[in-house]
Amino acid sequence: MSVDDTILDADVGIVGAGPGGMAAANVLAQAGLSVVVLDEGMRAGGQIYRQLPEGLVNHGKIAEPPSHDGGHALLERFAAAKVTLVSHATVWDAAPGKLWFEHGERSRLLRCRHIVLAPGGYDRCVPFPGWTLPGVVTAGALQVMVRGFGVVPGRRALVAGSGPLLLPTVTALLGAGVEVVAALEASSRWRALRAAPAVLGNALKRREAMWYARQLWKAGVKLRWGWTVFACEGDGRVQRAIIGKVDADGRPRRGTELKLDVDVVGAGFGLVPSVELALRLGCTSRFDAARGGHCVVVDEQQRTSVPGVFAAGEICGIGGAEVAAAEGQLVAEAVIALAKGSTVSAEAQRRAQKERKAADTMLRAFAPLPGLAELARPDTIVCRCEDVTRLGAQQAAQLHGDSLRAIKVGCRAGMGPCQARICGPSLQAMATGDGRRAMDLPVVQVPVKPVRTETMLDAPT
Amino acid sequence: MSGRIAGLDDATRGPRELIEFTFAGEKVTAWAGDSIAMALWAGGTTAVRSSSKNGSPRGVLCNMGICYECLVVVDGRTVRSCTTPVRAGMVVEPGGRP
Repeated sequence: MSVDDTILDADVGIVGAGPGGMAAANVLAQAGLSVVVLDEGMRAGGQIYRQLPEGLVNHGKIAEPPSHDGGHALLERFAAAKVTLVSHATVWDAAPGKLWFEHGERSRLLRCRHIVLAPGGYDRCVPFPGWTLPGVVTAGALQVMVRGFGVVPGRRALVAGSGPLLLPTVTALLGAGVEVVAALEASSRWRALRAAPAVLGNALKRREAMWYARQLWKAGVKLRWGWTVFACEGDGRVQRAIIGKVDADGRPRRGTELKLDVDVVGAGFGLVPSVELALRLGCTSRFDAARGGHCVVVDEQQRTSVPGVFAAGEICGIGGAEVAAAEGQLVAEAVIALAKGSTVSAEAQRRAQKERKAADTMLRAFAPLPGLAELARPDTIVCRCEDVTRLGAQQAAQLHGDSLRAIKVGCRAGMGPCQARICGPSLQAMATGDGRRAMDLPVVQVPVKPVRTETMLDAPT
Repeated sequence: MSGRIAGLDDATRGPRELIEFTFAGEKVTAWAGDSIAMALWAGGTTAVRSSSKNGSPRGVLCNMGICYECLVVVDGRTVRSCTTPVRAGMVVEPGGRP
């Protein structure tokens, strides 16, 4: 079998080369199973352990938190493992035992006895006036710029949002020599204190928290609790940001606004699990607001409701790299158990449970704040693909019903190429004014990600 | 001002290869390994297309292939500029839709 074959065969097909996918691949390969990993990125690592392009070396220029030691170890093992990695692979459809993907402008198929889904997650966006201006990006986008490409995002940056990922965004910017004008966490300090048990009870998280505190202190950056970005302004690109205080529910407190001159803004309000492929496969999911939205349900061995389909990491609920790596190890043992009749180690199960429990405690303190939906004004664009405003979505909800599907039919919101990945998490909250309601299941259609028409027409079977 | 983080070169390989391509008819210098979006961003270009609905300028949002906001046209094909690597001589035009 060559990587360039139109049809690839393997014992196990893994989607995603982040910590979960890499950890699983390393263990599976060691057990002698053939493994193909499909990943959309340019190199292995996923978003959290994103590597610079070939030929660039960090040289310690961009400071890395203590947890990244684990990432380097995973990457080294993965590079040495007998695993076939297909980068630049966009998986657009799946059935038990089959993963269809586009790679090198060609339609390809991976046939595998077992599927392990570890596609990670993506930034949760909250629409606010001016968020479509060039220069306003997600928090994750800024990390990719700095740690993935060695690009300096701008001169003066604002970082706003919620959750633990704001901190690596700030330190990445500092590493790139960017002045971080403000770092805003929407949760109050008191709410965030609920994360304390998770930090205090975990040696790595303790070290991590101390490391970030020291980095911010050295740079003179103060994290402002209970603040967020209200709006961005500029002529053709972002030039100013208006920030202000929010109440305990995240509702903007008008009258507290301050104006800042900035040339780049990173906004990230937590992460959303990437469940689309799993839903396409028919896996059972459940809504868990603190874990980021719809999550794939797995049993104590990372098995989904569909035989032969396993899941690890963010897809089972946002939890971070340590959860993903632990679940990746466990998922590999579960696949090996099925393939070879062995048993899953108690140690792997215990570790995955421990990491997941700590992550859940942490994330409950940063669960999405429903009041942030009020940042959008009636004329603020909510769905960027179709340029649907908040008012447009509201009118559609009144006319057609307030499910995501009805709003989509009524005003095209969510019908564009992002397939509601960007607007979906906030669309319903904004259209109905009820941010606490569990959001509808996303409508998953083939292709799960846009690919060329020829790719679908030429799909091998 | 955007740009490049200095001092990331791998001493064992020498300086990185420079690549030229065009965007909207203008010459752009990139490094091998750049995505189209990052080459443009490092050179100060953040808007890569206009919305076909309201005409407003748009650029990178997620930088990881999720949002389809940074679409450009390369050789007649619409691609995501954040996941498409630069090639020497590439002719890149601003994207239209979504």
